[in-house]
Amino acid sequence: MERRKASKLVRREKLTALAFVTPLIVGFVVFTLVCMVISFAYSFTNYNPIRGSMDFDGFKRYTELFTHPTYKKAFLDSILNTLFLLLATPLCLTVSILIAALMNNKKFRGKTVFRVIIYLPAVTSVVAVNFIWRYMFEENYGLINTFFHAHIPWLTDNTLIKVAMIIKNVWGGIGTQVILFMAGMQNISEEFYEAAELDGAGPVYKFFRITLPLVTPVLFYSIITSLIGGFQIFADVELFAGGQYGSRTIVHFIRNYGIGQNLYGLASAASFLLAAVIMIITALQFRFNKWVNYTD
Amino acid sequence: MEKTLVRKPHKKPSAIIALVVTYAVMILLAITMVFPYLYMALTTFKPMSETVSAGFKLFPRVWTAESYKEVWELVPFGRGILNTMAVEIPVILVGSFTSALGAFAFAKMRLPCARVLLLVLMSGMMVPFAALFLPQYRIYSSMKLTNNLLPLILPGLFGNISMVFFLIQFMGGIPNALFEAAKIDGCGYFKSFVYIMLPLLWPALAAQGVFWFLGIWNDYFAPSIYLTKPEAMTLQPLINRLNATQGGRDFPLVMTGAFLSSIPLIAVYLVFQKYFMSALSITSGIK
Repeated sequence: MERRKASKLVRREKLTALAFVTPLIVGFVVFTLVCMVISFAYSFTNYNPIRGSMDFDGFKRYTELFTHPTYKKAFLDSILNTLFLLLATPLCLTVSILIAALMNNKKFRGKTVFRVIIYLPAVTSVVAVNFIWRYMFEENYGLINTFFHAHIPWLTDNTLIKVAMIIKNVWGGIGTQVILFMAGMQNISEEFYEAAELDGAGPVYKFFRITLPLVTPVLFYSIITSLIGGFQIFADVELFAGGQYGSRTIVHFIRNYGIGQNLYGLASAASFLLAAVIMIITALQFRFNKWVNYTD
Repeated sequence: MEKTLVRKPHKKPSAIIALVVTYAVMILLAITMVFPYLYMALTTFKPMSETVSAGFKLFPRVWTAESYKEVWELVPFGRGILNTMAVEIPVILVGSFTSALGAFAFAKMRLPCARVLLLVLMSGMMVPFAALFLPQYRIYSSMKLTNNLLPLILPGLFGNISMVFFLIQFMGGIPNALFEAAKIDGCGYFKSFVYIMLPLLWPALAAQGVFWFLGIWNDYFAPSIYLTKPEAMTLQPLINRLNATQGGRDFPLVMTGAFLSSIPLIAVYLVFQKYFMSALSITSGIK
């Protein structure tokens, strides 16, 4: 009798627990799983809601992305642009790790003030950050060209636009990264540094032999999240670059050909390739975790 | 004077140089960070003619508040803030509740297949929005839900998996004995969640909520897809419309829009900055 009562209670607990996670499951199924399946299905068709076509076409959309005379250039260029823009990640992380190491100096006063200032771009509205920088990079009246008495076509040249976007994104990304690195550095035991000092180690040696290896968990987290974010740049293209050709990213391609031109099959195929790349990066995170130093 | 005697008597010159370099670099960096804001704020008070003449002037020669008047005339700015809040409030309140309730089942209850379930839910985070929005757009537009805030609100109500994951870890630090005692007293699971767990969860919820709030405020992609009428727009796409007037040449106007759209966030940030900093390191899992 007792056991039956107990098992009944356990069953009730399990059912209640399931009820509690139901919203999460429903959200996942409706907004992720189902949409992903539909999107995948689109990519094998010529779905166009305006023409009303939806015929099965096999892998034709995927091959079109790389061979079709009209779409090939736009697609391949959007990939190259996206990869070019990813250069912001190593730049931003290098600068951030150096700044964090400088700020980690115990004698350095005013850490709080500097942290608050550095983090400002991260709490500024996306549109605002893009507009400020667009104005500063403006060719004729922008601050940067006026200051250097130059006429550099930052916003109209296909390469310079990407350089400008990278500068903007490094500026905007430093805050978050510095705070993460500082948090990581504060976890490093003071003993390591004291021991190194006894052996006569200088600041450069200490940075490369103690600080850098021991912040690899943070570094790894930052690389992965920055790359995942970098592959999905979209707002910058519209807000900063005004859709300029040299700035167009993969997500812009997907949006442009999907919602813009109603070529849902083609856009879905591109979106699936992007999703695959992002999933591979995330999977790498688990695979290469060993490479990272964990002290505890 | 006495204080200096207590400190180490010999300061290495290299340490002093390092400190000087640190201050120099940090001050330079701080200027780089703040300057664009200063420039933006000052530009909002310039007449347009001043911004399209040669030479660099930081301060306006003639101070004017014309742009502020223009922003309110050109776009329904107040409506934009209301629309943004109409997304923020239900999503954060309901979404945090469903996230916490789900996390409670994972952390403190016998949930069947908990590990697999969590892994499946978390794998959903890997899927970029770009691979989901085309069908979503088709479905919403067939339901005549474009220019409506529902497409932006609905997904959030079902919780946020990264928040769930974080809350599960946080709940791990809360003793099970609390809930066992409640169980013996005949307290149901939902009741013990609401009366015991939730009050203990506030710091964690606030840390996550802060960033969720920021994320929604700054969201541009989804609103730009679903909202095409100015009255229906949230703040970010609405401000973007200012760029379209005068071909983006009315710099004071554009800067005023940018300035106004960032003021609320910056104000919240400066008041709660301590909170942001700790939340940032907690959220990333680096204490």
